[in-house]
Amino acid sequence: MADSGAQSSRYGPVQVHFITNSPDIELPEGKRQLLVPTNVRRYGLSQILNSESMLDTPAPIPFDFLINGTFLRTTLEEYLTTNGLSSETTLNLQYVRSLIPPLFEASF
Amino acid sequence: STHLDSLDVNLRSAAEARQQWTHYEAVTRDLSLSLTEQLRLILAPTLATKMRGDFRTGKRLNIKRIIPYIASQYKRDKIWMRRSVPSKRSYQIMLAVDDSKSMGESGSGSLAMETLVMVSKSLSMLEVGQICVVGFGETVKVAHEFDAPFSSDAGPKVFQNFGFDQGRTDVTRLVKDSIELFRTARQKASGSPADLWQMQLIISDGVCNSSEHDTIRRLLREALEERIMMVFIIIDNVKEKKKGESVLDLQQATFVKGKLHMSRYLDSFPFQYYIVVGDVKELPGVLATLLRQWFAEVVDSGS
Ligand SMILES: [Mg+2]
Repeated sequence: MADSGAQSSRYGPVQVHFITNSPDIELPEGKRQLLVPTNVRRYGLSQILNSESMLDTPAPIPFDFLINGTFLRTTLEEYLTTNGLSSETTLNLQYVRSLIPPLFEASF
Repeated sequence: STHLDSLDVNLRSAAEARQQWTHYEAVTRDLSLSLTEQLRLILAPTLATKMRGDFRTGKRLNIKRIIPYIASQYKRDKIWMRRSVPSKRSYQIMLAVDDSKSMGESGSGSLAMETLVMVSKSLSMLEVGQICVVGFGETVKVAHEFDAPFSSDAGPKVFQNFGFDQGRTDVTRLVKDSIELFRTARQKASGSPADLWQMQLIISDGVCNSSEHDTIRRLLREALEERIMMVFIIIDNVKEKKKGESVLDLQQATFVKGKLHMSRYLDSFPFQYYIVVGDVKELPGVLATLLRQWFAEVVDSGS
């Protein structure tokens, strides 16, 4: 679904905490915590990270995200449901430069 | 034996609740007293039908006027007080405590409990009216009814209702349901309905579904029309949070028609009357200031 993030979700937004092992793309300390809509997936999260108020990258870097060591391939909402979690939980999202080119992902 | 086991569990949790309540009561005792005194000034001026004034005839002597009266050779004879006209204002105050999981995760649970104990103690000491406590998350659960007196065992009983384990924070539902609870309570209230004021204090970490902010705003207008005041106390346990985690700094990403928007979460917060509290010590002062402002804007200008 490509419509406005927070509206279609029965969960509402979820708090995420961005972490990375690569010092060159690390967010400043005060910017690592964020509320995001639960219907985003990898592409949307990449977009958020690249944005002006976050990493402010000159050219967008495609990212991949890991939660508890597993690559996120679904929306956050699906991840929460599959893992029996609620949007009350703060998700630790580890981000890495993507090895897969950002194909034809029209949705996020 | 099953019966005994479950009984044992209940008793233990009751004992635990009592122990916790006593603990928080001790921790917040001085603050409760301070809050009581501040609230007395705000809520109670017209509550008691006081004797006041300087009249030639009246019901009770004004002691302060006696010496000048004698000194003036009985000329300054406005030495009597009369019962002032303002009628008795009474209150129904609902404390709504966020029982969702995020409260436990953010370490705000204990701060919320401290707040609940402090505020409910103050209000019961003030004797301004009825107190109700609800817990909210996915649903709204009444932990203490308006009708019931807030006696010494009311507090521990209230505590037994909280576990900070609900999977959602449905503030829309809270506002909707509490308007209904207030309507019912108003019908049951004794005395003149015109002198009844209803107020809700929401104690929460403040994170709710922002796509519903417009719906909440509409409900809040409805509440205001029925003279129900809703105050949001955002518990922000900054001591246990890292930089950027405070609700004051929290940013939010939304997609509107596929376009990314970044904004400060609190900028679209629907409650007009809200305060952010990082330490219970701040609460008496901040809450008093907010209520004073509300009374100046809404009550005193409107009545
Ligand atoms: Mg919550």
